[in-house]
Amino acid sequence: MEPIQTVTTLASITPARPWGLDIPNYFWFTGSSAAAFIVSSFAHVFGLKKFKPIAGFSLLIAFTLLVAAPLNLIDDLRQPGRLINFFLYGWENFGTSPMKWGVLLLAAYPVLILAEALVLYRPFLVGRMEKAEGRLTRGFFRALTFGRSELSEASLEADERLGFTLGAVGIPLALSVHGYTGYILGVVHSNPLWHTPLMPILFLASAMVSGTGLLLVLLPLAQKFFTNRAAIDTDVMTALARLLGWSIIIDLVIRFFWLTFAVAFNGAERFRLIDFFGHHFEEIAWVEYGLCLLLPLAIAFSPLGRRLPWQFSIGLISAVGVWLFRWNTVIGGQTIGKTTSGLLAYHPHLIGAGSIGAVVANWLAFVAMLCVVLLVFPWDEEMDRHYGKGIEL
Amino acid sequence: MSQLRRLFIQRIGALAAAVAATAASATSALAFSARNPGRDADDRRYAGQKGKRWAMVIDLRKCVGCQACTAACKAENVIPESKFRTWVPEYELGRYPRVRKAFLPQLCNHCDKAACVSVCPTGATFKRDDGIVAVDSQICWGCGYCLNACPYDKRFFNPLTQAADKCTFCAHRIDQGLLPACVETCVGGARVFGDLNDPRSEVSRMLAEAPTSVMNPAAGTRPQIYYRGMAGELQAQPSGPPSLDDLARHRDGVPAREWMTKA
Repeated sequence: MEPIQTVTTLASITPARPWGLDIPNYFWFTGSSAAAFIVSSFAHVFGLKKFKPIAGFSLLIAFTLLVAAPLNLIDDLRQPGRLINFFLYGWENFGTSPMKWGVLLLAAYPVLILAEALVLYRPFLVGRMEKAEGRLTRGFFRALTFGRSELSEASLEADERLGFTLGAVGIPLALSVHGYTGYILGVVHSNPLWHTPLMPILFLASAMVSGTGLLLVLLPLAQKFFTNRAAIDTDVMTALARLLGWSIIIDLVIRFFWLTFAVAFNGAERFRLIDFFGHHFEEIAWVEYGLCLLLPLAIAFSPLGRRLPWQFSIGLISAVGVWLFRWNTVIGGQTIGKTTSGLLAYHPHLIGAGSIGAVVANWLAFVAMLCVVLLVFPWDEEMDRHYGKGIEL
Repeated sequence: MSQLRRLFIQRIGALAAAVAATAASATSALAFSARNPGRDADDRRYAGQKGKRWAMVIDLRKCVGCQACTAACKAENVIPESKFRTWVPEYELGRYPRVRKAFLPQLCNHCDKAACVSVCPTGATFKRDDGIVAVDSQICWGCGYCLNACPYDKRFFNPLTQAADKCTFCAHRIDQGLLPACVETCVGGARVFGDLNDPRSEVSRMLAEAPTSVMNPAAGTRPQIYYRGMAGELQAQPSGPPSLDDLARHRDGVPAREWMTKA
C-alpha cells in the first residue's frame, strides 16, 4: 500500500448492523425448500421414475421448510407487531425492493405446495377418512380432501393432471422464492460482497446442494425408522448422492465466476473484498470449499458414494457447508465497513432476537412441524406402494 | 319511563357512533397504500417545504473536531447512548513521519437517489419534496434493509422507538425556520445549511465558488452533503487498520458487543 494512502482511524463509532443469525438461516431454509421441491418435480413433472418413491416425501419436506422459514424473518424484526404494515404500505417500492416481492412469493408458494400435496395424496387421505373412527378425525380428513372422496379412474387421472400443472407452475415459483433472497442481497450496491448479479443464481446453485444434502440425511432416517418396510432405498440414495455431486459442480462453476470477477477483475470494490477474503481465507478455503464442497464431490462420484454411511455423511456436511456459505455471505457482508476502515466482528448472542437460541428454536419448530406433517400425510403408505409392499388391510 | 327510554336511545346512539368511529378509523388505518398514511394525508411533516432543496456544505478546513455538533444533535433529537445521527471521526492520514490529522463530520447524505428509500418494504422511509429523507417510526417494522442499503452507514435502530433512525436535517427545526442543531452550534462555521433552489443561498454560492466533493460518488446515490477540502483517501471505504477504540476495548478485556470492529 502506498504510504500516502494509509488511513488510520483514531476515533469513530462502530456502524450499526441489522441482520443476525436469522437471516442466513432463513436463506438456507427457503433454498433447501426450493431444492426439495425440484427433486419432487423430477418425478411429478419430468417423469423421472427413479425419484417417484420420494417425490411425495420431498414435497412435504419442501412445504415444512417453507412454513418454518418466515418465522426467522419475523424474529429478526424490531417491530414484529407491525407485520401488517408489510402487506399494507409501501407498494410504490415494489419494483425496487426485492424484500417486498416476498409478500407475494411467501404467500403463494406454501399454498401451492400444500395444494399439490393434497391433490397427490388424495387417494390416501380418502383411505384414512374411510378408516377413521372418530367423527372429528373423519371430518379432518374429509376437509383435507375438500370433500372429493371419489376414487374412480377418471378422478385419479384428473388428480394426476392437476398435480402436473401445480408442479409445473411450482418450479418457477420455487426458483423465485429462493432466487428473490439472492436479489435481496444482490441489489445492495453499497455492499461489495453482495453486489453481484450472480447472487440469485449463486444462491440457487448452492440451494440445490443443501436441499439434496438435507434429503440424504432425512430420507434414510424416515425410511428406516418410520415406514413399515423399515428399509432404506439404496438406489434412490445413490441417485441423490449423484445429484448432490452434480449440484456441487454447478455450484463451484458459478462460484468460480463470482470470485474471479469479485476479487481479481473488479473495480474499487476488490480492495475491500481482498481484505475480506484474506481475513477469512482459512475458514473459507479449507472448511467451506475443501471440506464441505470438494470432499463431498469426490466421495459422491467415487465407489464410496454408493454406500449409505458415506451418502449420509456427505449430505450432512454439504448441507452444513451451504449454511456456512449463507453465514459468510450475510454476516460476512455486514462485517465490511462502508465509510469506516477495517472489518467488523460479529459476536452472536445466546438468547434473544437473531441469536443462536432463536435459530435453534427455529430448527426445533421445523422438526415439530415436520412430525405433524408426516403424521397427517400418508407418505409412508405411498412409499410402500412404490416398493410393492402395500400393507395388508 | 319516557326519560328511561330517552336515556336508552342516547346510550345506544353513543355506542353506535363509537362503533362507527372505530370502524372508520380502523378502515382508514388498514387501507392499502402505495406510500404510507402520513404521506397520503399530505401532512406537512411528510410533504416538506415545497420548492426547497435542502443541502449542507461542510468546509473541512474549518472543522476542529470539537464534536459540538455530535453533542448538539444528541441533545436536540434525544438520541440514546452510543447511537449517533452525526459524528466526527478522527483519522490519521499517511505514515509516520509524513502524517496529518483529518476530521470528517458525517451525517445522512439525504441522497437524491436514496438507496434506503427504494428498498423500504413498508414505505416507512421516504423522501420529502424538499429533499429530506425521513423515517416514520410508527410505520417502520424494523427489518433493517435500509441500514444495509445505505452506502454511508448512517442509519441505526433507535432503542427508544425500535425503528430505523437517522439524521432528519432537524426537519422539526427547519420547518419552523430554524437551522439544524449541528449547524447552529458549529463553532468554526464549518457546517453551512441552505436551499440549493435559491441561487443566493450560502450553500449555492459555496458550491458555485469552489470545487467540492461528496462521499462515495460511485454509489450512484447523488448525496447532498458536499465537502470542501476532503482528502481523497477518505472519499470511499478507506481501507486500513481497524479502529483504535475497539483495539483498546479488546486489549482492556471489555466484553465484546454484538457488532464491533475486528480487533
